Amino acid sequence: MQALDKALAQVGRVVLGKQEQLKLALACMLAGGHLLIEDLPGMGKTTLAHALARVFRLDYRRVQFTSDMLPADILGVSVFDPDSGAFNLREGPVFSQLLLADEINRATPKTQGALLEAMEERQVTLDGLTRPLPEPFFVVATQNPVTQAGTFVLPESQLDRFLMRISLGYPAPEVEMELLAGGDLRDAVRRLKPVIEPSGLVKLVAHVGKVRATRDLLDYVQRLLEATRADDRLVAGLSPRAGLGLLRAARAWALIHDRDYVLPEDVQAVWPSVAEHRLQPREGGSVAAMTQSLLQTVPVVRG
Amino acid sequence: MARIYQVPSHARLWLTLAIIAASLPQLSDGPWWQAVLLVVVLGWRALLDRQRLAQPGRLVRLGLLLATVGATFYSFGRLHGPEAGSALITSLFALKYLELVGKRDAYVLIVLGYFVCATILLFHRGPLAALYVVGCLTLLTASLAGINYSDTHARRRQHLTVASAMLLQALPLAVVLFVLVPRVAPLWNMQLDSGQARTGMSDSMSPGQVSRLTESSELAFRVQFQGTPPPPDQRYWRGLTYAYFDGTTWRQARPPGWSDADTFYDGRGPAPPWYRGLRAADRGPAWEYRVIMEPSQQRWLYALAVPFTDLDGQGLARDLRLVADNPVSGSYGYQVRSVPAAAEGLDLNGPERRLMLDLPDTGNRRARDLAASWRQRYRDDRELVQAALRYFREQPFHYTLEPPRLSGDTVDGFLFNTRRGFCEHYASSFTFLMRAAGIPARVVAGYQGGEPNGDYLQIRQYDAHAWTEVWLNGRWVRVDPTGAVAPERIELGLRGLVEGRADAGGDAVAGALGRLPVLFRVQQWMDYVDFNWQKWVLGYRQEDQRALIERLLGAFTPTRVALALLGAVLLVTAVLAVLVLARRRDAPARPLEREFARLRRGLARRGLNVADCHSAAALEAAAARRWPGAAGRAGHWRRYFEYLAYRRDGDPPAGELRQLRRRRRALMAGLKA
Repeated sequence: MQALDKALAQVGRVVLGKQEQLKLALACMLAGGHLLIEDLPGMGKTTLAHALARVFRLDYRRVQFTSDMLPADILGVSVFDPDSGAFNLREGPVFSQLLLADEINRATPKTQGALLEAMEERQVTLDGLTRPLPEPFFVVATQNPVTQAGTFVLPESQLDRFLMRISLGYPAPEVEMELLAGGDLRDAVRRLKPVIEPSGLVKLVAHVGKVRATRDLLDYVQRLLEATRADDRLVAGLSPRAGLGLLRAARAWALIHDRDYVLPEDVQAVWPSVAEHRLQPREGGSVAAMTQSLLQTVPVVRG
Repeated sequence: MARIYQVPSHARLWLTLAIIAASLPQLSDGPWWQAVLLVVVLGWRALLDRQRLAQPGRLVRLGLLLATVGATFYSFGRLHGPEAGSALITSLFALKYLELVGKRDAYVLIVLGYFVCATILLFHRGPLAALYVVGCLTLLTASLAGINYSDTHARRRQHLTVASAMLLQALPLAVVLFVLVPRVAPLWNMQLDSGQARTGMSDSMSPGQVSRLTESSELAFRVQFQGTPPPPDQRYWRGLTYAYFDGTTWRQARPPGWSDADTFYDGRGPAPPWYRGLRAADRGPAWEYRVIMEPSQQRWLYALAVPFTDLDGQGLARDLRLVADNPVSGSYGYQVRSVPAAAEGLDLNGPERRLMLDLPDTGNRRARDLAASWRQRYRDDRELVQAALRYFREQPFHYTLEPPRLSGDTVDGFLFNTRRGFCEHYASSFTFLMRAAGIPARVVAGYQGGEPNGDYLQIRQYDAHAWTEVWLNGRWVRVDPTGAVAPERIELGLRGLVEGRADAGGDAVAGALGRLPVLFRVQQWMDYVDFNWQKWVLGYRQEDQRALIERLLGAFTPTRVALALLGAVLLVTAVLAVLVLARRRDAPARPLEREFARLRRGLARRGLNVADCHSAAALEAAAARRWPGAAGRAGHWRRYFEYLAYRRDGDPPAGELRQLRRRRRALMAGLKA
């Protein structure tokens, strides 16, 4: 789809050399899912989130999570107005179309929980009043690798709220050269032109659901899910919700590649980012290697 | 209230039905309070499950238990024995349902249910009972499956399906075990006294004492002939003989001073002379048949005159009747060869002859006078017998099932006053007349006739009959005075008779037979099934098993039986395992999947092995790398495959599959190994 290609090209101007990750991030948005970026500080997570907000002209807010943060700091708070004698809700940063939750694993589980609940329900209940969040609503959360000190590890049930987890990683040498030679990235982001309006994005999200997935493809997806459950290197297999997410992500991926039907390659492309953060190894080892090995053992076409 | 175990709601229905079904036969046979107890328990449990009622406390449960035990003792007079025991276990089974505290109790309850099902078979042995018990087992197994489903969304039907599948899988094993597990003679002999011991026969006969013959259509035994059966008027099934008459009652008797060996031979020890004599006279036509007795609780067996058997489980008495070693408490089958001519092998001398002529010293004066007058007129015994029969035929005798009662000289009373009676009266008075005339005679009791059904005869209680045997020309000759009075009784059987005669009081009989032809046919068909059930299942005895195993394995040795058993069980299990595992495998490959596999195999034959984790595109890429010239055709195939597999739902029509096949062949043709 041309508009999507253009959007990708725009973001690619500020996040250099990370075409695959950009596509995944875009697919995650089109699939209506939230994105978790796991990286060391300074890898361009914020730039990516900001750039995405720009090209879709989304209302963008950023929250830096800290360990002394309270749920109200995200959701908002009721404030007494002496003039009118009533309580007014002061909306928190969650009332935005794209929320960048920076270093989400620095906050206490209570605060993490408040955000994740809002992500799942797409609404916030304060003082007994339920308010819907804006449409569209995306959360891009970033997380330091858990080996760092002073972090609260997100439990698996909450990781499941994120459709995808990606990492950007260090840039390639030539890309880094380009990066060093270039000007201020902040300016570059601000210069990005919106490509798709928020309403267009909502339509695209709706369109993703219509991308065709035939029985042969569903068979393949099911076999993959089944394989995670049968694999005794893993603590537990993927849930049906994860399966639905995988299919949705694959549809979005197909749409990005201008197809109205899903191919097994689409599933394989989104597979690591959808599956890895949901799976836990039983006794050490790399989940990435395990999910990859599943791709290499599960037959694409049964026979 | 303590936390108690709740039967999952989806399993509750099956458990309740299983309890009702397993208890029902006992309830219909047993005392009324059992039904009350079951209803109370089920009601309480239903309220308990809805948390409207608490679980009964320890005292209440103890009270219920004591009351149940007491009531059982009150109803049966004891707590042991088959009837009381199974009544007690059925009641306790119901009570157990009330005190499910943990899941373990539910298991105990269900296992107890299996046991209750087994007790049903103590009292009901027909094919329908077996079917019923299988139904109970299915329900119990369904409840067992149900309580093992923790999922609250489990579906009821699912449990029943699981249970049926399990029972079906167990069936071949059951058959193997039934056929091969060595059948040992029962270690104990259960005396079942209810419902089973009904027979028209007794060891004595007192004509005139019974004013109404109770005729029952209950089955006495069945006979399957090898070859054509004898005509109806030859079907006299001898059961016992009465030799001694005291003026009112005929009884079985043995010549004074004679021992067992003189009158009975059961195959053990050397054959006595009289048995050898019978065997020596074994010539001429014979009937061969198999009799399957219903339980009678008596030792008398029934057969046509001069029955020879293998004497295994039964013996032959000198008065030419078969006697079983043990009372017939279950269905019992035996093979007989009846040789009418063998009767000539016997003699009649000394005390035996005196016994067959013996009459009370006094009484029945007129009958004695009549006999004496015949004796004067006919020197020849044969003519005298004919004259006596003629007398019965010509005097106004009347066959009826409801004769007037007789007292005092019953023979005189019948012969000269009432002249109304049934077989007993005729046989008794005829035998009396013969003895009075100096001809040795005895009364024979048994059954006469039999109704064909399929390839066998059914002999029912209303076929019970009595007749006379007289000693003529050195052999016992059957004479049936009833036949002289009511020939149709012999030719048509009682059924024909009561249909023809309204005054015979046969309404009950006719009712029992069923006037509706369809009903009658169904009845007969059911009986046919029952017959084969008796013959093949209940009648499968140690000897049959031995014969079968000898035929199958060559010899009946423990090692062979054990090996055969092990082999058969393993075989059945293996077959089941294969079937089950085959079902568990994925559904068979669909056409597109087969086509894909063909291409992979084709590439492998040409030296390109691609793992099955390759998609169509990966396959194309691999082929194009190996054979750059074929890249176009590979893409051609891949695009069409993707089109069929991923762009359109459903299996592609035959035409498109052909198209795909053509593209695959085109691709393969250009490849070199």
